[in-house]
Amino acid sequence: MKTDVLIIGGGPAGLSAAIETASRGLDVTIVDEASQLGGQLNQQTQVLRPLPSVYEPMRGFELANKLIEQIKGFNVRLLLNHRVVGFYADGSAGITDEENVFPVKAKKIIVASGAAEKAVAFPKWTMPGIMTIGAAQTLINRDFVMPGKEAVIVGSSDFAMETAIQLMDVGIRVKAIIEKQSGALAKEQEKASELSKNGIPFYFNSFIKEARGNGQVEQIDIELPDEVITLSVDLVCMDGGRAPILDVFYQLGCSFGFQEELGGWVPQYNHTLQTGREDVYLAGNAAGISTQGPLLLTGMIAGISVSEELQAISPAEANEMREALWKELGLLEDKEVYSGRIKHLENFTSPLLKDQFIS
Amino acid sequence: MHIEKHPVLGRQLHKPVTIYFNDQPYQAYTQQSVAAALMANGIKKLGVSRKLVQSRGLFCSRGRCCSCYMTIDGEDHVRSCLTEVEEGMRIYPNMDDPEVRREIDED
Repeated sequence: MKTDVLIIGGGPAGLSAAIETASRGLDVTIVDEASQLGGQLNQQTQVLRPLPSVYEPMRGFELANKLIEQIKGFNVRLLLNHRVVGFYADGSAGITDEENVFPVKAKKIIVASGAAEKAVAFPKWTMPGIMTIGAAQTLINRDFVMPGKEAVIVGSSDFAMETAIQLMDVGIRVKAIIEKQSGALAKEQEKASELSKNGIPFYFNSFIKEARGNGQVEQIDIELPDEVITLSVDLVCMDGGRAPILDVFYQLGCSFGFQEELGGWVPQYNHTLQTGREDVYLAGNAAGISTQGPLLLTGMIAGISVSEELQAISPAEANEMREALWKELGLLEDKEVYSGRIKHLENFTSPLLKDQFIS
Repeated sequence: MHIEKHPVLGRQLHKPVTIYFNDQPYQAYTQQSVAAALMANGIKKLGVSRKLVQSRGLFCSRGRCCSCYMTIDGEDHVRSCLTEVEEGMRIYPNMDDPEVRREIDED
């Protein structure tokens, strides 16, 4: 199979890159291991803001539907329930439908592989009933299943607060929020105060000492600053933050730099979102952990850069649009993340890690 | 428990199907993942870890952590959080390593 642009990942960043490239007449292929496009937007019922100026504020799943609607009518081939498992010597991607593997030769590749949630380790953290906040959100909003009746949340980011509210809204009793720092980390303070108003205790400077249960979590011990308390719960939702998913970049031989503000190790890229490999671009959380609005903008930037490389758009036009998008990114994105991104761009020519996974 | 009426998304569970876990029938709905449908029926333990034989269940629901491996319709080591339920599906817990090589049907 041949295609102009292969987009790995059909979430918000991949879809916005697809819109930019396919709308200019390029032949685009999206590969995603899920059975539907939209990525994590599909189970986000919260209103997303700020979004890029072309979108009004809307709920996550509404944005997914809108993006999917936009690529209809363009020349986009969808390989859902498919995964990239490696690359051939000639640069073709090896893609599997879980039965056979076939090569896809693309002129340009945009990797929008997203992020994975990190775990918070404590004794017995691997027991059933203990899961990431993203998993709990997926269960209630995608699968329509109660993950438990009585929960604690470990962590207090915006995402954790949002999930806690969504759990309460379906009737799950949130018994406590446990935070190892001395205050709530959520930037939107009203969400934390909404939870406090509902009588949910925040335990600061605290952590889970141990979980217990017969085959699944039944009890946890929480180490508070001056005592240890025990709660009966059947659900522990952990918010360990997120890190970019890098597997595909390793296989492609991209170089990496460490950027704390972007979530740790991130492939290196320049202002066109081109990686150390000139036919490979990246977008979304793979380019650094951020919020949904900025993820869309990075997808648009990558899409425009690839369109320019494939001569679907003039360099002057591409430069003008890219500059405007970077400006909007600077306005929309969390200040720390954005400054991390700028530092990361400056380090493009001095990779910290390269060719580290030669087998 | 299934969420019959979601506060934001309303009623979404329309097409019930019967799935079998350890040969016992359970109700699920199309569009649900196997791991989620089992959880709705109170089953959280989906298998055991290979070395220390400790209980494992759904952890990330994204297909990343591989904590939810199960045997589904005769196939071992399937990620149950990414597999949608189908009528009559037969599901067994993941109790040990699968046979990596097995005879392929000649016909």
